[in-house]
Amino acid sequence: MLLYLRLAWRNVWRHRRRTLIVILAIGLVLALMMFYDGIVAGFKTAIYGNAVQVLGGNIQVHAAGYSEKIGQSPLLALPNAEELVAAAQQQPQVAVASRRVITSGMATSAEGAFGVSIIGIEPEKEQAVSLEAKKVTAGRYLTAADTDQIFIGQGLADTMGIAVGDRITLVGRDVHKQMRKRTMTVAGIYDIDMPEIEKNNIFISLAEAQDLYGLGDQSTEVAIMLHKIGEEDAVIKALSPLLGDSETQTWATSFPELVYALESKGKVMNIFSTIIMFIAGIGILNMLLMAIYERTREIGVLGALGMKPRQISYLFLLEGGMIGLVGLAFGVLLGLGINLLLQQGGLDYSAFTGLTEYTALINTNIYPSLGLEKIVQRAVVILAVALICSYYPAREAAKNEPAQALHFV
Amino acid sequence: MIHLIKMAFRDLGRNRRRSFFSALALGMGLSLLLLMASVIEGEVRSSMDLSIKLQSGHLQVRSLTYDEDKHSLAHEDLVADPESVAAQVASLEPVQAASPRLYASGIITVGEETAGVNLLGIDPDSDTNAPYRDGIVSGQYLSADDREGVLIGSTLAANLGLSAGDDISVMVNTANGDVDEQPFTIRGTYATGSPFYDESTLIMPLAKAQTITQAEGYASTIFVLLKDQDQADAVSAALKSSQYEVLTYRQMNALLSQIQGMSNGYMIVLYLIVLGITATVIINTLIMSVFERTREIGILAAMGMRPGRIMAMFFAESTLLTAGGIGIGLVLGGLLVMYASKVGFYIGKFGIEGMLLSDRIYARLTIESAIALIITAFVVSLLAALYPALLAARLEPVDALHSGN
Repeated sequence: MLLYLRLAWRNVWRHRRRTLIVILAIGLVLALMMFYDGIVAGFKTAIYGNAVQVLGGNIQVHAAGYSEKIGQSPLLALPNAEELVAAAQQQPQVAVASRRVITSGMATSAEGAFGVSIIGIEPEKEQAVSLEAKKVTAGRYLTAADTDQIFIGQGLADTMGIAVGDRITLVGRDVHKQMRKRTMTVAGIYDIDMPEIEKNNIFISLAEAQDLYGLGDQSTEVAIMLHKIGEEDAVIKALSPLLGDSETQTWATSFPELVYALESKGKVMNIFSTIIMFIAGIGILNMLLMAIYERTREIGVLGALGMKPRQISYLFLLEGGMIGLVGLAFGVLLGLGINLLLQQGGLDYSAFTGLTEYTALINTNIYPSLGLEKIVQRAVVILAVALICSYYPAREAAKNEPAQALHFV
Repeated sequence: MIHLIKMAFRDLGRNRRRSFFSALALGMGLSLLLLMASVIEGEVRSSMDLSIKLQSGHLQVRSLTYDEDKHSLAHEDLVADPESVAAQVASLEPVQAASPRLYASGIITVGEETAGVNLLGIDPDSDTNAPYRDGIVSGQYLSADDREGVLIGSTLAANLGLSAGDDISVMVNTANGDVDEQPFTIRGTYATGSPFYDESTLIMPLAKAQTITQAEGYASTIFVLLKDQDQADAVSAALKSSQYEVLTYRQMNALLSQIQGMSNGYMIVLYLIVLGITATVIINTLIMSVFERTREIGILAAMGMRPGRIMAMFFAESTLLTAGGIGIGLVLGGLLVMYASKVGFYIGKFGIEGMLLSDRIYARLTIESAIALIITAFVVSLLAALYPALLAARLEPVDALHSGN
């Protein structure tokens, strides 16, 4: 076996220039794949990191039946919210657990009317972890005692043409389906660089929300912020005795669209990159065909010395596989280089933020990862294609009749 | 010249298998790129068509202070006496139809659930609203004097579990900055092909929309369709006045062209990478043939063939190879594009106000992008021949004659 490897390896480098060009092609294919994987991973980090912050924590607990009405934010009270919050706070992974009331409503000013989510929060608890609380640009964050004060984003302030101290009308509906209208004063404005998200949310204090929408001391959601992403399942498990038939959602399940979009794009990319790899594979095929022609006499000698046709074809398969491997190594280096370079500045995706609900979460440049997420899968594809493309020449080589091949000049 | 091409043709024929595979590599690359270009073109085109049909029209006449993001109903932001303005616009020769529209923000309530919507008041009898009339999937279309009926999109109806005949409550903002609420009956549900639009738009007759928002005698915009969209700029210029703002569909769909420009940028990079990979196959093929024919080239040179002409011979070979590759690419790519334009790709709900997308994208290949791709493929392949051709031209006749084989 070692002998075959040595033979094949020497054969690979007999025509250095030729081999290098084929390796260049394979390297380009792999670098392209790694670039794509890196961008996708960069997207995920950019979106998920913000998704957790902006969409109310790593885990949200709602009353049973809530998700059938998802998107419409029903005022469905969560029975044991207080207990849940207390239990969640006991968990070491939990940074903050708090109650919320979420309903959809409309904000109107002289400038026009805007559909919004009205979110009642416990400011004293959320202040420590809230991204919005850290990014106050004017006025102040909410306090628990606030009654007719709202806390809004710069995006909404700009569209509505309002500033701190201005008054707007906030319209919602209580649990008895009665329209509730109240004039509110802007207490503070935050700016998290996500205008599309900012436009959709208005924060008020939990007590005010409970009062306005007739919830008494109940709430519709328990939001749990963790210290670290990835510990959601452990926390949910620890809380399970209290959860009953309540619905739990993690930040990842809140965005099925994102997962779908990334997966379907990923599939298309898999197919495309395989086709592109086959193009590079034709380079291997042509090169080996040429090598067989050049080495007709040699193959004849090997045959005459007793090497079986099958063994001769192994030799060529090995040669093709080795070219694939070297191309792979070169591609990894090239891909790492490209991604490292792009990590310096990042890519500007700001034009796309308005495109979907989830791209609105991108507030910085996209920084690609190193692109090694799927490297095993990519490597398998490249090696498989290299071997498939060497199969035909390898079979050709085995067909040579030693006696005739020896006579070949 | 003919002589060169003949020689190149024969040389390629000497190793038919290799030449075929090289052309196949180029053909595969080209067909892949044709497919990608056509899918993107189809996406952009369908988005533009949907937007013109539903949101922007070819032209809109608005008040100078109107801001479409705000759905303002203050009278100074609206067009006064919209019927006569619309009639005036419709009297122009290139205009197919024009009608007033009124926009407001609203919330629908049914049982425990609420959903935010855009309220759209239309003139049900105008041809500009044919997409809604023809898009009715259940129930009936509206009549202009209906005071209680609305149409809702099929996606919204499904989300809220509603069907024609159900009662809903609609809350809207009004011209004086206040909010009003009234009960309505769903007359019918419509589907436009854009799930996003069907989820967010509630339609009622203009007269009723004006009453409920206290904007009697006003409209947000005059929605204009032209017989030929290329006339948009000319008609826009003709309508220009100090009283109104006239916008063309291009101005209203600026986000779309921005996204198109950006994706084109990425596509060019991808084109070059894919073609670069096919180029390596061509380079290698030609290098091999230079080496096989070292002796031959030596003889040609010894007989007085100039280096330039030897290079030209290899360029001719590469040209023929490329022509073959492009032929294969056009056949393969044509089949792929044909399939993708018939069957399409399902993309689901994806899109926003500035860029409506239908839930299925059909490929669409324009002559321009096909020609651009073919020319790019040609140029890249010719460049690929440069190195092997130089190698051949630089051979010393004497050394070349002495080389083996």
